[in-house]
Amino acid sequence: MTPVHFSFSSAFILGLMGLTFHRTHLLSALLCLEGMMLSLFIALALWTLQFEMTGFSAAPMLLLAFSACEASAGLALLVATARTHGTDRLQNLNLLQC
Amino acid sequence: MTYLVSLLLIALIVGLVAVASNPAPYFAALGLVVAAGVGCGVLISHGGSFLSLVLFLIYLGGMLVVFAYSAALAAEPFPESWGDRSVLGYVVIYFVGVGLMMKFFCGGWYEGSWMIIDTFKEFSMLRGDISGVAMMYSLGGSMLVICAWVLLLTLFVVLELTRGLSRGSLRAV
Repeated sequence: MTPVHFSFSSAFILGLMGLTFHRTHLLSALLCLEGMMLSLFIALALWTLQFEMTGFSAAPMLLLAFSACEASAGLALLVATARTHGTDRLQNLNLLQC
Repeated sequence: MTYLVSLLLIALIVGLVAVASNPAPYFAALGLVVAAGVGCGVLISHGGSFLSLVLFLIYLGGMLVVFAYSAALAAEPFPESWGDRSVLGYVVIYFVGVGLMMKFFCGGWYEGSWMIIDTFKEFSMLRGDISGVAMMYSLGGSMLVICAWVLLLTLFVVLELTRGLSRGSLRAV
């Protein structure tokens, strides 16, 4: 595996592990999701540049647009959580806990 | 030049380890800023100057600024930085994990993978990536319209999610 390929793959996996494992804040999970989107943007853009497929360079732009939508939806849910529970700590989201 | 690209790739991994190791969200946003900056450097060194500019403007200047403002919702009296015990444990685990994966996937490490997209191919004045993005306005016009529609829809989604006093989509808010 070449260094460039390895670095954005491991960046994606690091973001995924950061999203999966024990968090304190909901905002940390959203930032890990943004890290994953960053690694995907870099991956698609490097695919375009290394294979010289210039028509594919619209794909990272569209990915960025959809990732902006997803980030704004996540932040709206964060604001809603902060309004109802007072904070965004994940320990407080325990109404359904048995 | 190869050393510069290697330094940028290492800084990308270090930045994402800084995000994934669960510090306070202020520091995680800082790690993401560093990672996006060096990601732009990696794209520039492969010749994608327009995509790097888009990443800087839209991602760093748009989305991460909004995340930095939202970090005020996650305010703590004693924010955990990367020197604190629990965060440092995660940092060490993630670096060891990346090192192990590097040992595992080191086949073909030194093969030629660094190509710069050429300005002078086909006698064009523009680089490849910006002329490719210009295709989004001509042949990919339908995808552009769909993207704009989805962004407008997201605006209304956010409005309905945060409309308070049970008038929106969430009864509790």
